[in-house]
Amino acid sequence: MNSTSLGNGQPPRWADWLLEWFCAPHLLEEVQGDLYERFVRDLQTEGIRRANRRYWTNVLRFIRPFALKRKVNDYSPTPLFSPAMLQNYIKIAFRNLTRNKAYSTINIIGLSIGLAAAMLIMLYTKDEVSYDRFHAHHQALYRITSKSLTPNGAVDYLQPYTGIFPGPKFHEGVPEIMTFVRYREDTKDMRQGTEVKSQLIHFADSSFFSIFSFPLLTGNPKTALQNPKSVVVSEEVAEKNFGTINALGKTLFFKDDDKFEPYIVTGVAKKCPQNSSIKFDILMPMVIKDEDMANNENWFSVFMNTFVILSPDANLKMVEAKMNQVYVADAQESIKSVAKKLGITGRTVYSLQPFTDMHLSKELPASNGLVDESNPTFSYILSGIALFILLIACINFINLTVARSLKRAKEIGVRKVVGGARTQLIIQFLGESFILCFAAFLFSFMLLELALPTFNQLANKALSLSYLFDIKLVAGYILLFMVTSLLSGFYPALILSSYSPVQTLYSRVKLSGKNYLQKSLVVLQFALASFLIIASLTIYSQFDYLTSKDLGYNDKNLVIVDKANLKRSEANLLKEELVKNQNIVDVAPKNGGRWGTTAKINGETQVNFDYETVNEVYLPLLKIPILKGRNFSTVFPSDSSQSVLVNEAFVKKAGWKQPIGQVVDFWFRNKKYAVVGVVKDHHFESLSQEIKPQLFTMKLGNDYGKVLIKIKPNTETASLHFIEKTFKKLFPISPYSYAFMDQENLKRYESEAKWKQMMLFGAILTIFISCIGLFGLATLSAERRTKEIGIRKVLGASVATIVQLLSTDFLKLVSLSFILAFPAAWYAMQQWLNNYPYRIGINAWMFIATAIIAISIAFLTVSWQSLRAAMTDPVKSLKTE
Amino acid sequence: MKRTYLGEFEEVVLLTVAVLHESAYGVAITDELDRQTGRSVSISAVHAALHRLEEKGMLKSQMGEATAERGGRRKRLFTVTALGSRALHDIRSMRNQLWDSISPNALPAISI
Repeated sequence: MNSTSLGNGQPPRWADWLLEWFCAPHLLEEVQGDLYERFVRDLQTEGIRRANRRYWTNVLRFIRPFALKRKVNDYSPTPLFSPAMLQNYIKIAFRNLTRNKAYSTINIIGLSIGLAAAMLIMLYTKDEVSYDRFHAHHQALYRITSKSLTPNGAVDYLQPYTGIFPGPKFHEGVPEIMTFVRYREDTKDMRQGTEVKSQLIHFADSSFFSIFSFPLLTGNPKTALQNPKSVVVSEEVAEKNFGTINALGKTLFFKDDDKFEPYIVTGVAKKCPQNSSIKFDILMPMVIKDEDMANNENWFSVFMNTFVILSPDANLKMVEAKMNQVYVADAQESIKSVAKKLGITGRTVYSLQPFTDMHLSKELPASNGLVDESNPTFSYILSGIALFILLIACINFINLTVARSLKRAKEIGVRKVVGGARTQLIIQFLGESFILCFAAFLFSFMLLELALPTFNQLANKALSLSYLFDIKLVAGYILLFMVTSLLSGFYPALILSSYSPVQTLYSRVKLSGKNYLQKSLVVLQFALASFLIIASLTIYSQFDYLTSKDLGYNDKNLVIVDKANLKRSEANLLKEELVKNQNIVDVAPKNGGRWGTTAKINGETQVNFDYETVNEVYLPLLKIPILKGRNFSTVFPSDSSQSVLVNEAFVKKAGWKQPIGQVVDFWFRNKKYAVVGVVKDHHFESLSQEIKPQLFTMKLGNDYGKVLIKIKPNTETASLHFIEKTFKKLFPISPYSYAFMDQENLKRYESEAKWKQMMLFGAILTIFISCIGLFGLATLSAERRTKEIGIRKVLGASVATIVQLLSTDFLKLVSLSFILAFPAAWYAMQQWLNNYPYRIGINAWMFIATAIIAISIAFLTVSWQSLRAAMTDPVKSLKTE
Repeated sequence: MKRTYLGEFEEVVLLTVAVLHESAYGVAITDELDRQTGRSVSISAVHAALHRLEEKGMLKSQMGEATAERGGRRKRLFTVTALGSRALHDIRSMRNQLWDSISPNALPAISI
């Protein structure tokens, strides 16, 4: 009831709207008429302002019961949820969904992929944040960490490790610390029958099982780790070694000082939960020698994790302060003597890290015997991708439903004419979207089950569908389902229900405007897809760069064999035996593990460096060039006690102009070594690190731990066989294991490898879902234009022209999406690459390739439908209707 | 005697409808009330009274013609029903009866 012109003036619009809104419909006409009449008179006698004011007063005065009351209709409408109507809605929904199979399939596939992705990420995130929370005391549990401060008080570095002292000494000196446990990992040789293998084990104090909630299947948790020759094994290890989990009292043999000692199984533990930072297979009592406890300098030797339980009333800041008091008082002498030796005045400050923070901590990660440390960024990015995919699926749904709604316009018209209210229609369409989403929801569980194994592998998890039986997660999924249904159903329902019945019944409905929403959604979809394509291309190129870059040495055909505590004589013997075989080029022993220390240079500069214990064969074997000076040589017997080689980074850090002949002073030995050669920088670490100072020594006191064996190309099988045979002959009680150097190097990029896989999956899924959406839209647009195409063909248009006609619109949108995607992708990738000191530059080809990929995929998708439309016999299309 | 209650305002409105005969609708009634009684009443109050009287069956209504100053909206024209007429007559006769029963000196004189 729009107000008609009243001549001179109009009553206040807002007042009129208010009246129209609250007044009972059957009274509105007369009331409004009276008010208008009065308004016109007021206008003439009192002027516009007064008339307006009076109009307002009059309207407000009508807010009284009789005017608000709704007259009972002569015919009561069918209630919204009457069984008959519900039945009808469902019937219509199913008819619609089954009649338009392509449409339903596209929507269900899209939505189920989207939902599955979102569910997967919820599963993942739930697992991530639930880490270490299963321990009964998890809220009172802390890890002792420390930070090194520079003399001016700035934080030099943080470390999550402690030595042997902090646990017992803080426990003694700080009353709030109720109990502590130290935990570290190591490898020990284990004998099974005649086989010897190197076994990963963990050492822990006897308080372990009272602090952590790892249930024992058999054995007494209080005493299990008290006897130094006892061992607690997981049910898997028990099963494997004894064939039963009833292993209490059985014996395992581990090597201590060159001979195998029996250890008695005092407990069998249940498998550690998947979301635990502590995962052990074999647990042994932590044995600390008395002389180590007596040596106060051990405050500075850090190599393990110490966990404490605080009393409930403890104040964290106070406890930390007390810990530092204890430390300063106890370590006073050692601090002084070290400061004197080194001339440094930096200091160490101890602090506490909540146990449950370890898993996702970037600064103090779960390392050194703790596993599964995780970068929270990974969760964010995964969630981002999953949201993208779900969003795109919802966009498809909205676009398709709205586009297809033209076909249903008549149904809407009829429903309205026979008395369907708008709310009824909205509920009906929402109901249809719920049915569709529900089908998608069921499918997504199947998809999830299919995708989990691959995902677990990529994310290094052991997630399973059984995780779903968690109230919060189930609630989350239901919420996800509801939100998705509403998100995708609400807008179409609103549009569809708004059609005017008169127009629909005369089939005059057109989508209003130029349908900007649909277009912008298509642009958004392809922008997201292009972004992910660029991201994948960049990550692929960077990965390729990392794995194929020249490392500065030759890692091909190099077999690494581990042999702990390899003596010089043994190494020589092994080499003699090995080179007898013509397949073996040369053999170079070196230290095992990674060693680093600090030296004072020229009496002042301090250099932190990695050092390798090698012999004269090592550098030539790896083809590492020597830039200045000479290699170690047997010609100079003093090499093994007084000479070192350093790399370029070392020289740079030390600031030497003339490195040969310079003196390196190892602070802890107070022994001086002369530099005899400079080695060209090579990447001994992963390429995500800059090349650090490195030093090579031949020092006799250092044991070897590894043997590098260069073999002739294509003799792997024979050579490996020979190496194993020789090794076992010489070292019958040492475990034998080998690895290829180049493969070991590749392992450093596992994280990048996972990233590129994830991105690729994300990109493929996004493109796929975007394309099925595009496909649907193209189908509808081709259908809508059937007649036009027929006429064009009759008038002589070629198939190519028609395909072009139908595709250009979509291709324009896809091209438009690049404008959004390219800058965003460029920025994001630049940020990511900045993490790498050695990296590729972002290249134009990535963008060009992305454009080509996106456009050609979109074109293929659209042209399929266009072609079909263009090839149809025009007689058919013109005859219909 | 059983009778229908009419409020004082309702009674006046009902009477006004009778006065206006065949052209009684909201605004006209309000104006007439103003003119005849000097009471300035709101349109909504009149509408409420009319609505109530119609519910009580003392008025009946039909939609009348539309005029330009009403923005093309029709008037609702009210006429008094037999019941309404009866009620008015009842009230009047009751009042007359009461007036007749007043002794001449019972009311204080009003100086004009």
